[in-house]
Amino acid sequence: MKRFYSPWIGPCLLAAGLLLYPIIFSSPFYRDIGVTFLLAAISASAWNIVGGYAGQVSVGHSMFFGLGAYTPLLLYTLWGWPLIAGIPVGMLLSVALSVVIGLPTFRLSGHYFSMATIAVAELIRIYFGTWTLVGAAIGLQGPATGRGWWDLTFRSELPYYYMFLGVLTFVLYVTFAVERRRFGFYLRSIKASERAARSLGVPVRQTKLQALALSAAFTSAAGSLYAAKTGFIDPDSGFGILVSVQMVIVAALGGAGTLFGPLLGAAILIPLQAATNTWFGGSDSGFTLNIFGVIVSFHGSGAALTFILYGGIIVLIARFEPGGLCELWRRLAPRLWKSAHAA
Amino acid sequence: MLLEASKVSKAFGDFWAVAGADLNVGEGEIIGLIGPNGAGKSTFFNCLAGDTLPTGGRIVFDGKDLTRASPEAHARAGIGRTFQVPMTFEDMSVLDNVMVGAFLRHPHRDDAREHARRIVELTGLRPDQPGRSLGTPGRKRLGIARVLATEPRLLLLDEALAGLTPTELQEAIALVRRVHETGVTIVIVEHIMEVIMTLTRRVLVFNQGHVIASGTPETVVRDEAVIEAYLGRGTRSQSRASGNP
Repeated sequence: MKRFYSPWIGPCLLAAGLLLYPIIFSSPFYRDIGVTFLLAAISASAWNIVGGYAGQVSVGHSMFFGLGAYTPLLLYTLWGWPLIAGIPVGMLLSVALSVVIGLPTFRLSGHYFSMATIAVAELIRIYFGTWTLVGAAIGLQGPATGRGWWDLTFRSELPYYYMFLGVLTFVLYVTFAVERRRFGFYLRSIKASERAARSLGVPVRQTKLQALALSAAFTSAAGSLYAAKTGFIDPDSGFGILVSVQMVIVAALGGAGTLFGPLLGAAILIPLQAATNTWFGGSDSGFTLNIFGVIVSFHGSGAALTFILYGGIIVLIARFEPGGLCELWRRLAPRLWKSAHAA
Repeated sequence: MLLEASKVSKAFGDFWAVAGADLNVGEGEIIGLIGPNGAGKSTFFNCLAGDTLPTGGRIVFDGKDLTRASPEAHARAGIGRTFQVPMTFEDMSVLDNVMVGAFLRHPHRDDAREHARRIVELTGLRPDQPGRSLGTPGRKRLGIARVLATEPRLLLLDEALAGLTPTELQEAIALVRRVHETGVTIVIVEHIMEVIMTLTRRVLVFNQGHVIASGTPETVVRDEAVIEAYLGRGTRSQSRASGNP
């Protein structure tokens, strides 16, 4: 019997599932999870270009996310610009920032690059927290009601969902194109061994800088979309370390350096986060125990559990599957296929 | 001359790993570099490949001064190298590994793939095999294939044949011969005398950062300074009898 198989079946099913999700799950709660999932997938896919493919683990990508989030809201606040016009400006600023950051830090490698990115992102966060033009610690707000579609301010989650899905598709398409071209080969060779790559004529610093710029542009777009959806941004939600850490963990969980790894990571992590927030509450809550006369208080929240979740995932990935779930699937799939056919 | 390296030196603090070494390589030659461990061969090699910046001296390749040029610039100029420990791109297939080198002269993917396929065929590897699944001989072959894909005019082989079984060694020697027949000039650092005696017509012997002898393989193995460098003082007469350094 002729076996029907095409490498496009998986992506087609995935596309159909993503298109139909908000129609099947029509309650605002599930649609919000869908939108959050797409945003996490966009951010992680953007990070994946430099962190996954090139192996340059940035833990300060929130600097681009925050810049992308602040720019449209600042331009709206100052001159009433539509939010959609602020997105490319944010992307340009982020690319410029990536060059400024990349030129000196790509002289460093390994952990030094990661530490440098954390330091820069934290400096920007602290600076924005005291800069009155951008609302200091209070932050900035977008339009309460949209003047038109160009303000990207909608009452329903549905337009955000499909807009984010369109952006994710574009980011994945670009990543797919990068993977297949010389640029993608160079990125993977740099990740494996910079010294060997250079000996083969790979312009290592230039390639890393290009990857960082491309990644920064997409991360900035993700930040702009986040700001448009929430209509608000402050230093912590834009430049906070958790924003960067989430990108790293989502990509690493699914499979850093793979096309669909960030998607898979987001599909697992975002519902998990939603579950912890729902079960344990988003704000501070807790309970007190009297153990043999000693009063012990446990206070926490769903948000605090997110940190525990992230920590646990980091430990599990580092210990058992550094290649992420895509790598695990790549190893197990042939065995499962064989055993299924043998049975 | 294709390569003229004159008075090349490299110091690490007060220690001179290479102390004024000269090497002239004509187009089409195969030259061997030998010497005891720690003689400075690999450091000299790294200077020639642009991996290490020389402290002094001059390296001219095909009329171009490459003394302070990057490894990328060396590769673009036509100098290719392999590493003692093969640095395989583990997550990539054999063909993809070779394509990284092929992209240097063939920027378009299809051209690079076609060129890489021809090189992989020459080295007898399986194109779709994952890099991480290769054993030592495969990795050594892949190292050679990858650098050949950059279409070098001068190939620097750094112990590319070490760690092979006698059968694998014969296959590897045959491979280097095939590469040489395609017009590539080769400088080979090797400890295995069989490789040096079989492949090269001229040998330079390094010791303590200096070139202490040069000539045909047959003459250098009988050179007293070479025997002393390898075996130490008081062993000359014994070695003379065996004919090996």
